Amino acid sequence: MYIPITVDHIARVEGKGGIEIVTSDEGVKEVKLNIIEGPRFFEAITIGKKLDEALAIYPRVCSFCSAAHKLTALEAAEKAVGFTPRPEIQDLRDLLYIGDMIESHALHLYLLVLPDYLGYSNPLAMVDKYKKEIEYAMALKNIGSKTMDYLGSRAIHQENAILGGFGKLPTKRQFEELKRELKEVLPMAEYTVELFAKLEQYKEVKDEEMVHMAVKPRNDVYGIYGDYIKVSDGFEFPVEDYKKYIVEKVVEHSFAKHSFYKDKPFMVGAISRIVNNADLLYGKAKELYSQYKDLLRYDNCFANNFAQALELVYFVERAIDIIDDTLAKWPIKERDEVELKDGFGVSITEAPRGLLVYALEVKDGKVNYADIITPTAMNLAIMERHVRLMAEKHWQDDPEKLKLLAEMTVRAYDPCISCSVHVVKL
Amino acid sequence: MSEKVKIGFYALTSCYGCQLQFAMMDEVLQLLDKANIECWFMVERDSDEDREVDIAFIEGSVSTEEEVELVKKIREKAKIVIAVGSCAIHGGVQSWGKDKGLSELWKKVYGESHVKFEPKMAEPVEKYIKVDYKLYGCPPEKKDFLYALGTFLVGSWPEDIDYPVCVECRIKGNPCILIEKGEPCLGPLTVAGCDARCPGFNVACIGCRGAVGYDVAWFDSLALEFKKKGLTKEEILERMKIFNAHNPKLEEMVNKIFEEGE
Repeated sequence: MYIPITVDHIARVEGKGGIEIVTSDEGVKEVKLNIIEGPRFFEAITIGKKLDEALAIYPRVCSFCSAAHKLTALEAAEKAVGFTPRPEIQDLRDLLYIGDMIESHALHLYLLVLPDYLGYSNPLAMVDKYKKEIEYAMALKNIGSKTMDYLGSRAIHQENAILGGFGKLPTKRQFEELKRELKEVLPMAEYTVELFAKLEQYKEVKDEEMVHMAVKPRNDVYGIYGDYIKVSDGFEFPVEDYKKYIVEKVVEHSFAKHSFYKDKPFMVGAISRIVNNADLLYGKAKELYSQYKDLLRYDNCFANNFAQALELVYFVERAIDIIDDTLAKWPIKERDEVELKDGFGVSITEAPRGLLVYALEVKDGKVNYADIITPTAMNLAIMERHVRLMAEKHWQDDPEKLKLLAEMTVRAYDPCISCSVHVVKL
Repeated sequence: MSEKVKIGFYALTSCYGCQLQFAMMDEVLQLLDKANIECWFMVERDSDEDREVDIAFIEGSVSTEEEVELVKKIREKAKIVIAVGSCAIHGGVQSWGKDKGLSELWKKVYGESHVKFEPKMAEPVEKYIKVDYKLYGCPPEKKDFLYALGTFLVGSWPEDIDYPVCVECRIKGNPCILIEKGEPCLGPLTVAGCDARCPGFNVACIGCRGAVGYDVAWFDSLALEFKKKGLTKEEILERMKIFNAHNPKLEEMVNKIFEEGE
């Protein structure tokens, strides 16, 4: 008789979720990822609401990636009404989004993931022994927050990104200040890569069938926006066809619907971006990629953490480049008028933890239809499979060890459980 | 305080933004020699909701029957309960769809499926337990946390904010978005403390800190102003309800304007 191994409330993730592993004499019988958050009905509550008001609340799906939600919803809305932002405005939206990437990756890696590897139950306990690491985490997090403060009005739930552009742009002096501080944290981002390169990456969890999905970067700029989705099996599809290739299904053993691509679970996130688009990296990130290519394993979800570290370097460098371009074009008009024509638009972008889908229909200036699929909703199926692989390997070990390894597997995905549950169709 | 103060941070249904704001404060590190974290799942693997605490921070709206039980338990175990953010204080943006009713919302998003928790329409924490102090905002500002925590740590009690965002906007010298640009800014009735953050970016306030308390929120006079600008009653109510859907005065005060005017 085996007692099920349960983690009621997975710590150090965003949102409330649990893990249940049932074993018998033969091995692992059942693995479940349980979602224990309350519903928020984001799609349903915004239907019939004014577009600008709905756009103000979409970021509230999730705080860790509020800029991602805001900017993806904005792009879907602007596509729906037939508006295209000027290139310099798009660059500044990229910069705001990058602020989110840097903050989210820094928080996840140092505060949520690192304690496991170093044997702590929380990041605050690491302060005495790992002073430098905590300082770097804070500095990286702070520059991400500041970028969002300046471009988006604040680090959580940005109100300054609006239809047509921005309410107000930072001053030239603020851009220069951002650039100076980004340059200061670049070595810290590089240190993060070195640090995570040294950690044990749990190579034992190998998934030969792993399929990765990421956007095909627009204008060949590695990162966030794209009009096509690239799959690691070589297939590509336009974002408008998302429903054909990101298929949500009810599975017997889970309360949340799982996402499948050609009947198989797939992964999204930093490692998926690297697997599909590493050839577009440049600068220091490219050098580090070449140096550590072997650690960026496509078949191991733990490589996601290492990919995030590499992306920290890339996004810091990319942010500096955007600021240089912006200052070269200065002054920049902050906003264009947008006429609210009726229409339908789909935007899929790369949120810090992977693909984020917004499909919006606008009618008479109001939201008439809304569909949101978040990265964690897409990753749930493969996350569960990898917890199972981990459990199959360690089911006879000390239950506490298995619990930790199962939690670490989930944390490797940087899941946003609030995101996934509030929008996934159960 | 000679002994370390025991702190708990609890999440109901939310975006986790209030905790994230708290976790992102560099000042939290300075707090460590003064406080023990008994429960805070976002950062502490060793968290336990059953432990006694001196200060309980609760974020999120009560949106399941399980969360009703949780807030009651927190109240029993905590000396001071602080409702943190728009969800805990006002039911959050998830209450915006309140008029549609739980079953309609459920059907639209989840179809005919059922889950093991018992869903409820989102409600403020205060509906179920006594709340001692509130940190307004979606999310609250860092200084809101620092002020409350600092005050409690020296054994004092923080003042509540009883004036609107407009005051801070005037002090900053921002142009008035309502009067000069004609946009439906909710600054006149929203609790201050954000330093008029959004109007400072030329963006109209959407009221994320909720309406000023003590029954002085002037839904009626602002509704009159909006009405003069051509907004319909429905438009006014929708906007004011984004963060105030549970306010008992709102509808009555807005209705008054439209009845008198007709």
